Amino acid sequence: MIAKFSHAADIISTVEFNHSGELLATGDKGGRVVIFQQEPESKSQPQCRGEYNVYSTFQSHEPEFDYLKSLEIEEKINKIRWLPQKNAAQFLLSTNDKTIKLWKISERDKRPEGYNLKEEDGRYRDFNTVTTLRVPVFRPMDLMVEASPRRVFANAHTYHINSISVNSDCETYLSADDLRINLWNLEITDRSFNIVDIKPANMEELTEVITAAEFHPNQCNTFVYSSSKGTIRLCDMRASALCDKHAKMFEEPEDPNNRSFFSEIISSISDVKFSHSGRYMMTRDYLSVKIWDLNMESRPVETYQVHEYLRSKLCSLYENDCIFDKFECCWNGNDSVVMTGSYNNFFRMFDRGYRQDVTLEASRENSKPRSVLKPRKVSTGGKRKKDEISVDSLDFNKKILHTAWHPLDNIIAVATTNNLYIFQEKLN
Amino acid sequence: MLGRGVKRKWSCLADLEAEALPAEKQKNGEEGPGDEGGFHVAPSESDMSHLQQRQLVLGLCLEKLQHYQAGVELSLRRSVLLINTLRQIQEDMQSDGVETCTSETLLNDVNADSCLLRDDVREDMPVTCPGCSEGDGDDLPLSPPLSPEFPSQEANSSADQPRSLPPATISSFSDAVNAMGYLSDLALDDIFEDIDTSMYETSDLPSAWAAGSLWPISVSLWADEDVKMRPSSHASAGSLQSCLMDLNELDHIMEILVKS
Repeated sequence: MIAKFSHAADIISTVEFNHSGELLATGDKGGRVVIFQQEPESKSQPQCRGEYNVYSTFQSHEPEFDYLKSLEIEEKINKIRWLPQKNAAQFLLSTNDKTIKLWKISERDKRPEGYNLKEEDGRYRDFNTVTTLRVPVFRPMDLMVEASPRRVFANAHTYHINSISVNSDCETYLSADDLRINLWNLEITDRSFNIVDIKPANMEELTEVITAAEFHPNQCNTFVYSSSKGTIRLCDMRASALCDKHAKMFEEPEDPNNRSFFSEIISSISDVKFSHSGRYMMTRDYLSVKIWDLNMESRPVETYQVHEYLRSKLCSLYENDCIFDKFECCWNGNDSVVMTGSYNNFFRMFDRGYRQDVTLEASRENSKPRSVLKPRKVSTGGKRKKDEISVDSLDFNKKILHTAWHPLDNIIAVATTNNLYIFQEKLN
Repeated sequence: MLGRGVKRKWSCLADLEAEALPAEKQKNGEEGPGDEGGFHVAPSESDMSHLQQRQLVLGLCLEKLQHYQAGVELSLRRSVLLINTLRQIQEDMQSDGVETCTSETLLNDVNADSCLLRDDVREDMPVTCPGCSEGDGDDLPLSPPLSPEFPSQEANSSADQPRSLPPATISSFSDAVNAMGYLSDLALDDIFEDIDTSMYETSDLPSAWAAGSLWPISVSLWADEDVKMRPSSHASAGSLQSCLMDLNELDHIMEILVKS
């Protein structure tokens, strides 16, 4: 992998490629969205895909104050999801804890010139000087990218929104908070349908929350949601209006040898993603990535250990709160490789076909442009080989929670706390 | 929660290990690579016995539940996971079975306030809170308000064994924490049960309560004697805090009511 690009920002909270991969959106803690655009491939270097440069920046969400509860509502962008492109403009959904917004990003590269009644600078002409009439024409101008909010979907979530997912029908989308999932029509902002509600009648009985949700990529009636207890439920919206009864429940029985006080916390699923094919789904819990076949509920078909060396450190990680970190995961375009982040600015890739995995690091020192990333290794035994890093030296303040993979090419975006790195596969 | 980037030694872990394993040679990593900046983890946890770890986790759990930033909404997922861990520890302690205690042996040093934490007493005396309901207290029975001050408990624990409270006391505290934790939702949710807000979950009062912004309530297990209830910035918390009055005050009021 070659480093191509890095961009300093506020704390990045979400990263997402659009459906063509030409645009890459990031959201940050300050409520801003920054969109990068891939430059067209240069003729001189056809092997080298274009670089990503800033295309548009806008303030998506502002901090709000809930007067009733006397609490601040953070403007941090939790998730961004692109809509499939239908016309010249691009649309994306961005959400903070409470409100989802639909943004239209459009280009303007021409402007009308030659008005009869106005000068070029906008001042009105004196009527008496107008002796001829002409038709204004469009002339090229410097590209201007405008982002405008088209819809605001508010007041539908009591708890913190953790996921949004656009349906394959391109007309509806779901939003999920800790206890409920709502279904929206993209055109209608003043109402939504509640399709999942796991809030117990007596809050004292609450033991489980929703952690992530996603629509199936092809079947518009199917979605899944994951829980803090390590279960995934697949629901069919054709069955009933309220999908409290799942059609399928995916859960792996606990390994009794690994039982500890932290078992439940580390089994909490932080992300769930369908494969592009729709045949599989991937879940991320604290220590591993699991691939599930939708036809088999009893256990995952593949399990990849992300950082098993942390299992003996769970108590410390509980103490410093790292055990609550929510890592995301992603598939590559053809579902053959999966990727997820770890600590010390490491991220991991697992090749499902070749049964290989690699650990790479996203850092300024290692990522000079055009340099090839060197695989990293964490030493777990007593002897530490050269170039290996010991578990005790890992920096748990440097975590990679958000990663994204270009839908078609081998280009990845990796977000460290304050920086976005874009890497592409080295071609010979 | 620890601020990001705050450098700290894994203090309590190191202290516990040093304390518990004095005979063992001090390992090289004791001071920790934490000095270099960023977070690092303790070199070895496997040396801790099950009981030591349980004690440590219990302490951390309560500390985390207790600590919250005013004005920032708690993460429900985090709270649920913490409370579940607490319950697991409680079950673990109960299943040990070694120190099943009678109330006399355990609580003879405890002051009258804490007696209300025991299950049997709780059932007999549903306490209603004047702060919540003006006239008719019977509609909203609450679990006994938990006094934040446990002076005798604290004296007990800190004097002798800072790290081992009798399990049954812990279990009763756990129950209390649970009760308190869900207290914010208890009353008003019932009242507004029949209102269908599924389509329009607005930030109305019931939702505000249900939001769990107060969930869980802070509990001071090994508190200083003069710990006061945290001043609350919430409108809703205000009335809840008034619910959790000092039990002496409550007794006093009951006396007055009964006499009148």
